[in-house]
Amino acid sequence: MRENEARFLNVKPVDVPVLAVTGGKGGTGKTTVAVNLAAALSMKGLSVLLVDADVDCPNVAVLLGIELKNGEEIRFFKPEIDEEKCVRCGKCAEVCLEHALVHAKDAVPAFFEELCSGCGACRLVCPVDAIKEGYKVLGKIFSSKTGSLEVVTGELRLTEARSPLVVKATKDYAYKMAMHGGYDLIIVDTAPGIHSSVVRALQGADFALAVTEPSHLGAHDLERILQLGKEIRISLAVVLNRADIPSGIKSRIYGLCDSYGVEIVSEIPFDEELLKAYVNRVPVVQYNLKCPSAQALSTLADYVSRRLG
Amino acid sequence: MKEILVASGKGGVGKTTVAASLAVFLSDRGFKLVTVDADVDAPNLSITLGGGKTKALHEITISHKAVINPEKCSNCGKCVETCQFGAVARLEKSEPPVIAEILCEGCGACVVACPEKAIRLEERRTGELRVEETKYGFPLVTGKLVLGEHNSGHLVTSAKKFGRLEAEKSGASLLVVDGAPGIGCPVIASVAGADYVLAVTEPTPAAKRDLERLIHVVKHFGVPCGMVINRADLSPKYRKEIREKISRKLAIPVLGEIPIDYEVLKALNSMTPIIRFNPEAKASKALKAIFKEVAETVLEGKAHA
Repeated sequence: MRENEARFLNVKPVDVPVLAVTGGKGGTGKTTVAVNLAAALSMKGLSVLLVDADVDCPNVAVLLGIELKNGEEIRFFKPEIDEEKCVRCGKCAEVCLEHALVHAKDAVPAFFEELCSGCGACRLVCPVDAIKEGYKVLGKIFSSKTGSLEVVTGELRLTEARSPLVVKATKDYAYKMAMHGGYDLIIVDTAPGIHSSVVRALQGADFALAVTEPSHLGAHDLERILQLGKEIRISLAVVLNRADIPSGIKSRIYGLCDSYGVEIVSEIPFDEELLKAYVNRVPVVQYNLKCPSAQALSTLADYVSRRLG
Repeated sequence: MKEILVASGKGGVGKTTVAASLAVFLSDRGFKLVTVDADVDAPNLSITLGGGKTKALHEITISHKAVINPEKCSNCGKCVETCQFGAVARLEKSEPPVIAEILCEGCGACVVACPEKAIRLEERRTGELRVEETKYGFPLVTGKLVLGEHNSGHLVTSAKKFGRLEAEKSGASLLVVDGAPGIGCPVIASVAGADYVLAVTEPTPAAKRDLERLIHVVKHFGVPCGMVINRADLSPKYRKEIREKISRKLAIPVLGEIPIDYEVLKALNSMTPIIRFNPEAKASKALKAIFKEVAETVLEGKAHA
């Protein structure tokens, strides 16, 4: 990646430290770590805004026992053709690379909404201004609060495919809140994987934690996220969850992190208490701060707070 | 040609474990099949099947990225205003805008907007498809997305297409597809064209919610679906909720439950599908009963028990 692109990706519109929690593989404990860090730091007196940017399957609210209500629609451009004005030239269909507009000779172009990316090229090219601004709903944004912890959740509309745009809208919303919110820290929970939605969730973060587990699958997917981190020049550290599971391959994770020059900053032990807290929809640091996993997460929270000043 | 997709919504609930054993089971039962790893972000089926010998590697180049020619750019800023995806920004007033390729969706709106014709679209690699011969006698097609790409749905579609070609070559008539977590673009691309979705879940609040979202998407596409509750003894409360609030309410049968079994972890780390690693393990017995039902109802035309 070129220098100026990396600079672009690392711009954030607010002067609040941003931590992202990611990991590559699904189900390694990203959301558990994000939620517990947010809860632990809130308990230590910090004002935290927790953003759920895993918009396909947002689970922050689920783990905090919050019911999502009164979401705000995320609207995105779609063309509406004024048939009276349309001169049937087909220019809009020519520039539509997604083939959402299809032009048969001498007819008003047909529109296939599922294919439309909302780019607006059709509107720019129409010589007679026959394309009006319509919209489609890509998802919803929910804002909620539990104790002193504030949460923003992005949720993709069912059967809608364009998750990255929902992530973008969710982060823009959170940044807007942060402009007058007086927050000490923003924590962003990302989707699994290394695709565009994850990039958009990581974009602008000062620092990211990659949560993994000591398995070959965990190692494989962690390596992909470490490569992505390097590519977009985001500084990363690793959290090894369920560090002591039977037949785990901890040494492989350590070897991998070594080769990327990335530090493993926390090992969270497998802990029945964590599971109980999870099923009860309470962060384990609130459920039982004395148990081993809560201790590890609380220590990790101290590390995050030092690291992000 | 039939296509069975293993999906879940939530990540890490056991999709790949189930898919690997399902493929081995069906192959043992006499079905000629091809496996496809459609989790193009984090493809793990090859590891779970113990790796394989690469037969072919295809580069897939279907992505486009906008590129500015600084010589022609008059620095008017129209491209910045036009881009709906936040992929174009002006970092320095005196310099041409910068396009972050990793955010660019290749829509071409900036190309249309630029009065100087200073922007063009260039082709970029989307990912690769690797065809492997596994040690279980069936081929595996793995899609692997370029870091940060957005075209995962197209790559999944290509992976399935290659899977079908591979099947035609080897006289197979079944694809077993391991899907991605989530419910967005790559998952929609895997559900489209599937004959059956085997949804894997676990009894936790998060997995339950994600399962519900997945099932809505699967139903929208009209694909028949059955579910498997993995680590079923994790929470009696959520096990009951999944059975009552999702299975019954949405009319999706529970094909079976897999108990927590540390043999599964051992099998994963020895890179052998659990039903081969330890056929007598509790989890293996549960999986085989589920797969038998899938084989009979989906592939052999019997009614659900």
